[in-house]
Amino acid sequence: MKTVCRFAGPTLMMLAILMCVVSQASAAASKAENLERGVIGPVSANVSWSGYSSLNLVPGAGLIPISSTQTAFYIGFTAGATADINNMVLYTTARGSSTITAATPITYGGVSNPSINLASPSVCPVVEISDFNPCIVRLDTAKLVLSALSDYYLVIYFTPDDSNNGAVGATVPRFSMSSMNGWYISGDESRLAVGASIPSGNGGAQPEFLMYVMND
Amino acid sequence: MRPDRFDHDKETRQDLKYTFRIMEIPMIALKPLATFALMMSVLAASALAQVPATALANITEGQGTITSNSNPQWDGMSELVLIPGASMLGAAPSSMALYLGFTGGSEADIGNLVLYTTARGSTVITATKKLTLNKSADPSINLASTSVCPIQPVSSTNPCIIRLDTVAGKLSPLDDYYFGVYFTLDTNNEKIAGAGLSTAQGALTGWYLYGDQTRVGKDGALPSGNSGQAPFFLLYVANQ
Repeated sequence: MKTVCRFAGPTLMMLAILMCVVSQASAAASKAENLERGVIGPVSANVSWSGYSSLNLVPGAGLIPISSTQTAFYIGFTAGATADINNMVLYTTARGSSTITAATPITYGGVSNPSINLASPSVCPVVEISDFNPCIVRLDTAKLVLSALSDYYLVIYFTPDDSNNGAVGATVPRFSMSSMNGWYISGDESRLAVGASIPSGNGGAQPEFLMYVMND
Repeated sequence: MRPDRFDHDKETRQDLKYTFRIMEIPMIALKPLATFALMMSVLAASALAQVPATALANITEGQGTITSNSNPQWDGMSELVLIPGASMLGAAPSSMALYLGFTGGSEADIGNLVLYTTARGSTVITATKKLTLNKSADPSINLASTSVCPIQPVSSTNPCIIRLDTVAGKLSPLDDYYFGVYFTLDTNNEKIAGAGLSTAQGALTGWYLYGDQTRVGKDGALPSGNSGQAPFFLLYVANQ
């Protein structure tokens, strides 16, 4: 008993030090880091998205090897006052395959069909948004660990027959330097089921809307 | 009275003996304490040894092949290079070193070196930091000296790569950074050439402008002109 007491003090001390070290390490790990090389340099605009789906490939082959327990997508707007999104989803395929193996809902403010107020300074600090002052919106972090063995497709479908979406502008990278690429299709491509195929049309262009994929 | 005194003395002796016994306990306890202190030192040393900052690591992807094509005449010119936050690889280290490449000339006379910070995707400068070579922001680099450029003469096949002084502080992937170098208007700089403009440009893009573009202040606008081509002078961005 006496021996136990003698060991207890230093053991507690050691545990406290270890906990401190571990908490510092996890604090460092929670800082925002890139999971993929994002959009680099200036952007231009592509306006009028009513009834269109924007598809963006996040390739597993482009993942930066950091440890992460979650994924945050950042999308960019260059014009518009409100973006009315009908649905957002992340499809998973095996690397290089077009067969969907999983479909994960993506949300903003807790919903998959948000209206984003681009005229609000709390959403877009620099008003008015433009090519030179794009508004970069972080979607809710998804509890999703991206794998280098899979490919991922972020699909955003903009509500059809919606005058707000007629004025919405997407960020279009001027330099082809990110690891991601994208394309767009008229109609809703965000409600495909597991086993379906990713819609065709990826010509290797830079992604529209999707700017960054990070761990936070 | 004597017996009483005697008893008192005896008592005092016993107290002293007891006191010494109390003092002995911490001495005995020192052994496990020392063991744990040693264990903790070993653990701490092990944790420190795992810090990756000691190894050379790229902060972003630098330029690949060196071409040295299409250099303008650099006297009186500035080059600006975007180091994008969106391209940063993993956790930012606590220091940064920029590497410049030269493929021609015998002396490069630098008027000023700077690192601008903007928010990611923005053109408004939020911070400026002086960069130095051998603690000077306006160094003259003797490209003809073998102590500076070991293989002479410098050329596109024997580029001279100069590491600027290491800068303390972390780069954030939520910001963009612009490296600026101004070459003094003199005859030495008419003959210098940058090593870059690689077709494998990594994540770096650069452009050049006439005049000193390295002294824009905080809240100023970044000089425009980035067309996405590879930089001439900045080759690599590493942690040391």
